[in-house]
Amino acid sequence: MGRVVATEKRPNTAHEFHFWTAIDSPIGIGTIVRVDGESPVAGQVRRVYGVVVEGFSYTDLQTPIHDVLGHDGMPGSASLAATERAEIRLYTAHVLRQIPEEPLQPVPMGAVALASDEDVAVALRMDSYLQPGSNTGIPVGIYRAGAMEAPIYLDADFLLGPEAAHLNITGVSGLATKTSAVEWLLSSIFTHFPQQKGSVAAICFNVKGPDLLFLDQPGTIDDNDRAMYEKLGVEPAPFERVRYFAPYTAKGFTLNTLRSNEQLAHNLTPLTWGLNEVMQFAEVLLNKDDIDAKADAFIDFLQERVIGREFHETPLSTPHRVRSFAELEAFFRDLLRGMEDRGSGEHWRTHHVATIRKVRNRLSNISTRCAGLVTDEGTVSDLPFGSFQDRTVYVVDVASLEEDAQDLIFARVVSKLREHLERRDLGVSHVVVFVDELNKYAPGDGPETYVRKMLLDISERGRYLGLVLFSAQQFRSQVHRRVVGNAGTGLYGRMDMDELATPGYSVLSAATKTKLATLEKGQLMVRHPHFAQPIFVRFPRPAVLRGRDGAERFPQAGEIPLEVAVMRSLRQLDPSISLDWVKRTIVGHEEAAVLRARNVTVQTRPDRVQHFFEAQFRRIVPLDAPARPATVPIRALPSDDPYGF
Amino acid sequence: MTHVVSDDGRTLTPDVRRTSVPSLGATFNDVRRELATRLQGTAPVTSPLPLELLSRGVQDAPSLRDVEVLDANGMGVYAVADAATPPRFAAFLDGAQWSLALWAGGIPVVHGTVAAVIRQREDRRMTTWRKPVVRRAVYAPLTLLPLTWQDALSAMDLEVVDTLATRKPESGHPFELQEIAYQSVLAARETIEKALAEEWCESTTLDLFVDGGIAGSRKVARSTNVVGVVKSHQRLYASAAHLPMLMGLQSGERSSVVRVSEGKRTPVASWYLRLRDASGHDPFWGLVRVEVALSDTSASRALLERADEVSRWILAEALPLSVPDARWDKMVYGIRDCEEFLRAIQ
Repeated sequence: MGRVVATEKRPNTAHEFHFWTAIDSPIGIGTIVRVDGESPVAGQVRRVYGVVVEGFSYTDLQTPIHDVLGHDGMPGSASLAATERAEIRLYTAHVLRQIPEEPLQPVPMGAVALASDEDVAVALRMDSYLQPGSNTGIPVGIYRAGAMEAPIYLDADFLLGPEAAHLNITGVSGLATKTSAVEWLLSSIFTHFPQQKGSVAAICFNVKGPDLLFLDQPGTIDDNDRAMYEKLGVEPAPFERVRYFAPYTAKGFTLNTLRSNEQLAHNLTPLTWGLNEVMQFAEVLLNKDDIDAKADAFIDFLQERVIGREFHETPLSTPHRVRSFAELEAFFRDLLRGMEDRGSGEHWRTHHVATIRKVRNRLSNISTRCAGLVTDEGTVSDLPFGSFQDRTVYVVDVASLEEDAQDLIFARVVSKLREHLERRDLGVSHVVVFVDELNKYAPGDGPETYVRKMLLDISERGRYLGLVLFSAQQFRSQVHRRVVGNAGTGLYGRMDMDELATPGYSVLSAATKTKLATLEKGQLMVRHPHFAQPIFVRFPRPAVLRGRDGAERFPQAGEIPLEVAVMRSLRQLDPSISLDWVKRTIVGHEEAAVLRARNVTVQTRPDRVQHFFEAQFRRIVPLDAPARPATVPIRALPSDDPYGF
Repeated sequence: MTHVVSDDGRTLTPDVRRTSVPSLGATFNDVRRELATRLQGTAPVTSPLPLELLSRGVQDAPSLRDVEVLDANGMGVYAVADAATPPRFAAFLDGAQWSLALWAGGIPVVHGTVAAVIRQREDRRMTTWRKPVVRRAVYAPLTLLPLTWQDALSAMDLEVVDTLATRKPESGHPFELQEIAYQSVLAARETIEKALAEEWCESTTLDLFVDGGIAGSRKVARSTNVVGVVKSHQRLYASAAHLPMLMGLQSGERSSVVRVSEGKRTPVASWYLRLRDASGHDPFWGLVRVEVALSDTSASRALLERADEVSRWILAEALPLSVPDARWDKMVYGIRDCEEFLRAIQ
């Protein structure tokens, strides 16, 4: 295929070498080659593996003007030349591996050949983790060169921990590369993650559009994709076990997701939290500039002494057990009225009334800002922390939520995952957390946010727990350095040249950058701890329905009346429920009460759904007529009233 | 033919085939190292540059030769250019040499490397036809060398050519001895070029472009598929009367065909051809002399038609230019390719 060449001006080193090939050789940027040395060193003929990073082509012309003169300035006459000029294809390759590895010497002269399947495995050090019996390889794609195709594997120990962990993928938007790559890789992980390494599940935050909302629906793949699936040993099928979670809309009738079509409701679960769930993460929602030390202290007091327990103290008129935002509001109302009515001064338990009012305002505001997610009445419908299932994808759709609500969901879900993984009671031993739009959630600059701190924490310590971050963004250069820096594995789709011009890509050759800027769909550049140099691979289209196609095939449910929304929710529990029954049951009740009854029923999942649902109204809605207030007799006129009649 | 003598009586007649592959231990530096060892550490003094670059090489004295004009109309000028003529040559032959001198006191010992190659053209790309011929030898006036040198050279596993075997020096001046050695290298080069051209003639009827004359080999000079193109004009085959006409040839014009016959060389038909517009240049700019086999009826119309035809073939080689070679005005690209190839395997 070629021969190594070295000159004084362009010598070979231990990490880089040059070789030439025939004009028509299939060598290109990213091709893996093998050099067979000609002279033995210490009794062993050296073998060097490299990946092509740069290519040069030139003729024996000294200056372009000679060619112009030779053709009388007429480019068309070039085809009349009797002979084609001597031309060279000169390539520069970076060393992937040398055998023997010691002594490390400059690459010797020798013949250059295209790397075979076995060569690729050795060159990328995959041979160390593809051993029978201790195979921890996770297929990431196929490396192609000429007619040769070789599967490329990542090491599960370096992808999901404990040796290294985390994966970051970057690429321009609109090519579906990032999402597709993650979907494919999750399929591959679920298929190939070794049983002896434990169980694995994935939580995907769907942050935009319908990208991740149809992972359980089959998509369209072609024969090329099928061939790749076969070669990589992965079934070309949608995910078997997927559960979706989404909060309600602010109105509360339907779930706030593009996957609200009734046909797909079977694995869609509401995500609603109450006061208890939110107060732990109040920091996420409260503006630091607004909440000073005094307010912070009062919030701490509420969390420790008031919320979730019986509390009665002057100037409160009655005992309070605060379990929901509604009860918290009642507590505040009673407290402030008591302070005013009893003239107990401007302080209560050292907290100034202004601070109390401020905290009341900010906390009460949460259920409004996060309407649909945070409920006043405290109904909780959460991810199944503690009973996560192996090889299951949990998708949390936050695409339609306000930024505050998104932050709250990230913070709480990840914190809960961490808590459970620390206690080893999550249900699985490894969780992949996929977060897109890292530019937004963990930017390199801007104020410190709770979400960014949390992502940093996963990046730096998650691998010991089995908490693995798969992150994606358009501009890697604008993401916090420690988040991307801790990602053991990096995937790069098609990149913008402006992004490639940033210092983070200075280690890449100009040709590699050009290739990155022109990558087709389905192509990636892969960096992995075992690979000395980045490698280009192709991966198959995910066998799941694309978000856009899914949104067309399963249109989002439109605005529906309350009784229809209730019927659809309850039918998930009891298919016999009819619209008429729902109408009869809720007639005369307030909308909030109906929704509360529905939420409690859905959360409880009772055996006798209709009975349970009706019971909610009996308990909440007083059936007895209110007692008639005692009649206050009109005071009798004095007998000596001169004006009396 | 170059002759070889050695002290032990070995016959070292150049055998092109045997020496076609360079043998280890025969390079200049190897010879120098081995001599230093055999001469007990006395490293031989060398000339700083190859003789080809030192202007010590032999050149013919400039001369005019009266020749027989084969055209019935006498010496004339013919426009032959035809842009529609496609390139015809299937291959190009050229040779090269590199000579470096060692000094045994005042006696030059020349290490010469000669090489020749045929580069064939397929689909407009050049590849090597069969194998290139490379031969390395030492050329020295053995009888004039000190005994230590003679012993050292004879003990070495390399070809030694006695330069005084066929020619005696007039003065014994070291430069004269060096010039004789240089001529021996030239002769060796011509030998392998001839052998290679003959091999081509025996193998194929495709047309071969030879850099230089073809009269040195009877077989080649009589082959109808070999064309020799001479770029040097030390010797002009024209009378003084015809010189202005010759110098005035325009681009794409040829002179009348003449008969060139030099000593023991085979007579050939020859004419001058202007490859490029010489405006603003010296009169030899783009001027080449073409040699082809002389047909039995030397004045035949066929020969004249062949002159036109061959001229057009050569003109069709005008592109690509042979730049950056300084002789690009006369050199076709196929020959430059041969030279680059030989330089690469030197």
